[in-house]
Amino acid sequence: MTPTVFLVDDEEMVLTSIRAFLSLETDYRVATFADPEQAVDRLRTERADVIISDYLMPKMNGIQLLARAKELQPETPRVLLTGHADKQSAIQAINEVALFQYLEKPWDNAQLLLVIQAAIERANLYRDLRDKINELAMANSNLREIQTRLLKAFF
Amino acid sequence: MEAESEAATMATEKTPPCELDREEVERIRAKLVDASRMAALGGLMASIVHEINTPIGSILSNNEVMLRSLNAIEQKIAASPDADSPGLQKALSIIEMMRGLASVDKIACERISSVVRGLKTFSRADDGQPRETDLHEQISDTLKLVSCQYRQRIRVETDFGDLPPVECYPQLLNQVFLNVLVNAGQAIEGEGVVTVRTRREGEMVRVSISDTGHGIPPDRMAKIFQTGFTTKPVGVGTGLGLSISRQIIDKHRGRIEVESAEGAGTTFHILVPVRQQPPDRGAAGEGEPT
Repeated sequence: MTPTVFLVDDEEMVLTSIRAFLSLETDYRVATFADPEQAVDRLRTERADVIISDYLMPKMNGIQLLARAKELQPETPRVLLTGHADKQSAIQAINEVALFQYLEKPWDNAQLLLVIQAAIERANLYRDLRDKINELAMANSNLREIQTRLLKAFF
Repeated sequence: MEAESEAATMATEKTPPCELDREEVERIRAKLVDASRMAALGGLMASIVHEINTPIGSILSNNEVMLRSLNAIEQKIAASPDADSPGLQKALSIIEMMRGLASVDKIACERISSVVRGLKTFSRADDGQPRETDLHEQISDTLKLVSCQYRQRIRVETDFGDLPPVECYPQLLNQVFLNVLVNAGQAIEGEGVVTVRTRREGEMVRVSISDTGHGIPPDRMAKIFQTGFTTKPVGVGTGLGLSISRQIIDKHRGRIEVESAEGAGTTFHILVPVRQQPPDRGAAGEGEPT
């Protein structure tokens, strides 16, 4: 399944640049949003493999958006890409939304790509783990059922 | 009569403390104005840094995509059976020219980016506590800023020693480095050299900034740290730079010294302790950043 990258920034130029770079370098599907509220709406219906957000945006800042993303899709890694880098926002982001990575503008494309690849890998591992846990739970439940039936048959 | 005389004595005795209080109030007021100006400047710089970093990020990213796209087109042309045709040869030469221009754009953006990184250091809000700092990183950032002013005229030489992390107010120390480096550049007429040397001396670190400028006449040496004293033309100097620098160094419990030979140059030695001692109880509040 083609991984989906959610990219949120109120600056269209950033969306255009990163989308162009990712379309040249990868086969990822890139969903871009200049309005963070629209990104939240989309997260309700569509799975994202990684979400990258700017910090300073109207209506909702990056940390608020990533907090909403954490509620809606907890397994999706969250990345903050900001030109307003300060210690306070970094600490807040790490503590409040369990940030996967904190990147500063101007970004380095190679570094950004590595972060996205690592994030997608983590999301896949997380989902695989969740599936395996579900399978184990199912197998366990089946075993219990068989055990019950066996006990009933013999006693 | 005795009471009247006592009252008169008290009145005359009261005048000097009252004058002193007024001076003190004036000094604190000036300090507050300076502090709010610096805070406003810091906020303004932070906004400018943010406003510049976003488009620079876009340009640098597009530049890379453009270069990769040109490479891809070039490879397609080279693989074409008509690669030797005059039309495609002309296209290849245009690609080569565009690649050259894109490289220049990249260098230009990286230069802007490097200056902005320097500004960022100055815009960082002071959290009111000294913190462990790599002084070489701070000096290098400040040098990036002054290099715009020095341009090709002044060569910068650095001789960095082995320094431990220094507990300080980095943005305040940067202000001192900036003041001294700007003065050094202004002291040099035509071409010259500014040298920055750092050394550890026991529990202190010494940053020495030397220029090959015109030097300071002996009769002016005693006044250079006085508020309002300047030898520069109106609009160039305010006479505040070195005075503020000394206040900042005092706040760090350090020293700022100067040696100069007229016609040969000047060296400012900035000495700050590696560790800041906790402030005296009696001086509580005086150690707050300005």
